Amino acid sequence: MRRHPMKNTIENENSLLTGLGKQLLSGSLSDAHVQQATEDTPNFTILPWVNVVKIGGQSIMDRGRSAVYPLVEEIVANLGKHKMILGTGAGTRARHIYSLAIDLGLPTGVLTVLGTAVAWQNAQMLHYLLAQYGIPFIEPEGFGTLPHYLMERGAVVCQGMPPYKLWEPNPATGRIPPQRTDTGCFLVAEVFGARKMIYVKDEDGLYTADPKKDSTAEYIPRIGVKELLALDLEDLIVERAVLEFMARARNIREIQFVNGLKPGQLTAALNGEPVGTIVYKDGDAR
Amino acid sequence: MSFYDSSTQHVESSLMRESLMDKNVIARTEGQVVPILPDVNIIQIGGRSIMDRGRSALLPLLEEVVANQSQHQMIIGVGAGIRSRHIFSVGLDLGLPTGALATLSAKDSAQNAYMVSCLLAKHGFVYLEAPFVVQLLPAMLAAARGAVFNGIPPYALWEHPPLVGKLPPHGSDAGSYLVAEVFGARSMIYLKDVDGIYSTDPKTDPAAEFIPEIRAQELIDKRLPTLPIEPAALDLLTRAKLMSHFRVINGLTSGNLSRALAGESIGTLVRQ
Repeated sequence: MRRHPMKNTIENENSLLTGLGKQLLSGSLSDAHVQQATEDTPNFTILPWVNVVKIGGQSIMDRGRSAVYPLVEEIVANLGKHKMILGTGAGTRARHIYSLAIDLGLPTGVLTVLGTAVAWQNAQMLHYLLAQYGIPFIEPEGFGTLPHYLMERGAVVCQGMPPYKLWEPNPATGRIPPQRTDTGCFLVAEVFGARKMIYVKDEDGLYTADPKKDSTAEYIPRIGVKELLALDLEDLIVERAVLEFMARARNIREIQFVNGLKPGQLTAALNGEPVGTIVYKDGDAR
Repeated sequence: MSFYDSSTQHVESSLMRESLMDKNVIARTEGQVVPILPDVNIIQIGGRSIMDRGRSALLPLLEEVVANQSQHQMIIGVGAGIRSRHIFSVGLDLGLPTGALATLSAKDSAQNAYMVSCLLAKHGFVYLEAPFVVQLLPAMLAAARGAVFNGIPPYALWEHPPLVGKLPPHGSDAGSYLVAEVFGARSMIYLKDVDGIYSTDPKTDPAAEFIPEIRAQELIDKRLPTLPIEPAALDLLTRAKLMSHFRVINGLTSGNLSRALAGESIGTLVRQ
């Protein structure tokens, strides 16, 4: 039986497609006009009521019981009031394995695989402490079940690293993965259109320099993300990638940094109070 | 080995107590990188440019892959193509964010990669999902005679927001390059449906000028309206530690892949 050769295209004349759809089928995806056309599409927020809370690795988890127990108590006290995705940082073991792996000549992608394991360990530990409240640990591959657990139990624990593994891009300088747990948690907040992105660290917020090392460091309670990037500080409380992505985010309008060593700060931030430092999206063209 | 400093329990290392956001600390981490699989060639088969054309484009190309199998170790990344354009259109209309679009699109390239692996199966090629690329690729290359992987990187919901609009910036060109870079591959070859990179789109402009060799930054600065490869791949190339060049060739022309594998100057060579 002879047939017409199969046509391996989806018809441009297809009346089911939107105007943008026709552009996408016929044009190049890197075409500036096509990209601009996608700018004006609507935003549907997937989980508008969720709060993403990142628990620092070196700043909180590595301190052990004295820092982690009170924070766990505060998380438990907020169950039922605020739904939370709890992401963990990596910390000192990541620093150890990064320095070892750099010494061995391994590339950034391999460092990312190694660093992810450390954030994973911290997430497991946090998960053990919260297990009795029915809170699950979720791998990136299991994120499809996340809305269910948030509705049923009010919180989930995940490791903060984005799942880039060997596919982590090189940094501009050096070899440390540029997108780590601050960035992974931010991207979760952005893709779900979260209500809040809260970073729990061991400082009251952002300073002009590292207050642990520089006594002249000045505290910054509130600052625009473009303004902060323009300051080009030598050191920062958050990964630079977070600020770069925030400048072009469609959903997240501000991120907040609180001191997890001070009881009540996380609760205040969840309740919408301006504790710690808030970095907001300035010069918003959208 | 553990230290007690302001209640944080440290493990001693050169980065101990340091802020990884500190520019001076970051600068100290420069140094020699060791290639993990220096003999392997990463071949990228375009989705729109090759796969969507079906057997007339793909089968001769795969024959050429097989003909080169005894001389060159090859790992094949595959792109997504027209089905991703369609799901982008539907997804954008529904208001879905970039990370959701990236998750959806990665299934289109996975389908294409799986089809390529079926066509090459009798020659010993295996299909590897991202977790197996991480864990098993070297062992697979020792045991099997080649591998096929999903060109789109496993960024999924964590895909970067683009500078403009909502389309995922890291497609299969970026993903394949990242595999070549992290393993320190011998070559990165993109198989497309044009002879290389032109000053304008040669399909629509007869006056388009061919560019035989160019640096990535120079090409970025030209701000060409269309490119046969993703801009993200150029951006990644500027930060290469090992894979400091790639070649864009016409996969529809018989013999091109063999010539590129042999190191001949064919198509466009983009350097770091």
